[in-house]
Amino acid sequence: MCTLDQLKDRHSPCECETSEITAVLGRRPSRRAILTSALAFSAAPLIARMPAMAGSTLAVSDIAPGVFVHQGRYELQSPENRGDMANASFVIGNDSVAVIDTLGSAKVGRELRAAIKAVTDKPIRYIINTHMHPDHVFGNAAFKEDNPEFVGHHKLRRGLEARAQSYMASSKDMLGEDAFDGSEIILPTKGVDDTLTIDLGGRSLVCEAQKTAHTDNDLIVTDSTTGTAFFGDLLFSGHIPTLDGSLRGWLSLIEQLEGRTVARVVPGHGPHAMHMPEGILPEKQYWSVVAADVRRLIKEGNSLTEATKVAGQSERSNWKLFEQYHVRNVIAAFAELEWE
Amino acid sequence: METYRKAIGRAAAIVMAATWMVGAVYPAKAEEDMWPSLRSEVFGDRPIKESDGVVILDAPSRAEDAAVVPLTVRVPPAVKGPLKSMWLIIDQNPAPVALTVTFGPAAGNGGGERRFTTRVRIDTYSYVHAVVETDDGTLHMTKAFVKASGGCAAPAPKDADQASADLGKTVVKSFDPALQTAALREAQIMIKHPNTNGLQMDPDTRAYVPARFIREVAVRRGSELVFKAETSFSISANPNFRFTYENASENTLEVTSIDTDETKFVGHSTQVSITQ
Repeated sequence: MCTLDQLKDRHSPCECETSEITAVLGRRPSRRAILTSALAFSAAPLIARMPAMAGSTLAVSDIAPGVFVHQGRYELQSPENRGDMANASFVIGNDSVAVIDTLGSAKVGRELRAAIKAVTDKPIRYIINTHMHPDHVFGNAAFKEDNPEFVGHHKLRRGLEARAQSYMASSKDMLGEDAFDGSEIILPTKGVDDTLTIDLGGRSLVCEAQKTAHTDNDLIVTDSTTGTAFFGDLLFSGHIPTLDGSLRGWLSLIEQLEGRTVARVVPGHGPHAMHMPEGILPEKQYWSVVAADVRRLIKEGNSLTEATKVAGQSERSNWKLFEQYHVRNVIAAFAELEWE
Repeated sequence: METYRKAIGRAAAIVMAATWMVGAVYPAKAEEDMWPSLRSEVFGDRPIKESDGVVILDAPSRAEDAAVVPLTVRVPPAVKGPLKSMWLIIDQNPAPVALTVTFGPAAGNGGGERRFTTRVRIDTYSYVHAVVETDDGTLHMTKAFVKASGGCAAPAPKDADQASADLGKTVVKSFDPALQTAALREAQIMIKHPNTNGLQMDPDTRAYVPARFIREVAVRRGSELVFKAETSFSISANPNFRFTYENASENTLEVTSIDTDETKFVGHSTQVSITQ
């Protein structure tokens, strides 16, 4: 994500991959009905997008029994996308619902809530944020009326408090008054020190606090029933990864994650669901190339400016939004790795 | 010290006005020309030669990361003799005078391009002015416009716990020149310091963390001064300087820095041969 206004005029139109399954939900359809409509829509993707554009409910897909994902666009914040540029998910248990990330404004947050209400009337008891970035947390405000537990990494509170003013100001600026209206920073009510298990009735979600990687407050959530893991922005696909934590930490976490056995994984930015370890390999390659290039340039005595011109350029064609984020990534990598 | 106090005074005034914390103040603010008042504040009525080729400023036209903007001041080989001093001024920043450098005898007398690079925070769209005083006391100035936003108002370190670890750790590298007989060689200083600007809120007390930043850096080779810099919180976290100095038989540097809590940090250079 990025909230910097400087990127605004480089804003590029939506280049989202059309997902393999895109279903627009009506009133509590069966899984079969959703899949049927998904297939129909996949043959006519324009039709599939229309209801979302009309502002009714957000398009969500079920990727496993009781597990739904909305795919965000590969874009920067804009009045047009209203902060709908990350993935948001929800998991339905026998007793209650947990939402994992809430998108980037109260407005799209409310649409996400409407999409959940269209699928289930079970109460929304948990809002889990995978990390602090605005495109994952500003929709929290839409769920206040549900009086849920807001769950995050134990460092999420500090991260949000330190950035509250700049996140509010820059998001308002990027999204415009209209789309930003009603958005606010909602701090977690439950911090995860190490792991936390949430019981939704008949299924549980395991939340695991990670060491500094994408940010210093990354949380991985796993649904025990279906073996679905929600990696948040520890996994990018298609959309270039962005670094706001530690490159060394992220690369070592990727090695751990590669060895995980999960049925499927939901990225923070990318398609609805992916397989491991294949899903994380492009990201691993990107960061490995950036790290290797930057380390070599440092060793050769090059300056930061020189590094920003050449490091990681071989990855350019592999990622959307490369132009918008890559140099920032190199700067962050350089500033970290020069201390090795 | 005068420049430092001025910078703090200005910062306090602007913080009270609470304009820069809003972030989205740039285009209107950037149109306001701060230079005439800054110029007289820092240089009085001294004449300044503009864009006469003595000083060149390399700055990105757009800052990819406003909290880490590399700026390089260059003085071409055609300029002979020692340099007296140098200023980097970021017009629209809360502390506009990012640094004031006084050069010493070990900075060298030329015989090649002289360079000085640091990384700064730039809070909004702003002109950056680089001023160099040559040995004859003449001031030479050039400027560059940088599109940036939120460099100062994005105060939070990426890894909050890591940022305060190893406070003051100082790494100094002196790079061997390609030609042993070169008149100048290059060195780099890295100081581990969050360089906080006083606008970060402590999550526990909900009070603003007091500003704590490196305010002075002195670089010596033996008993000779290379340079002494007065610095403000416009310098990025983990202050970083890269500069040329006289290439001699003995090139080891001692770097002493002092932060606003009056804590002193010291580092010595290691000699680095570049293997390309």
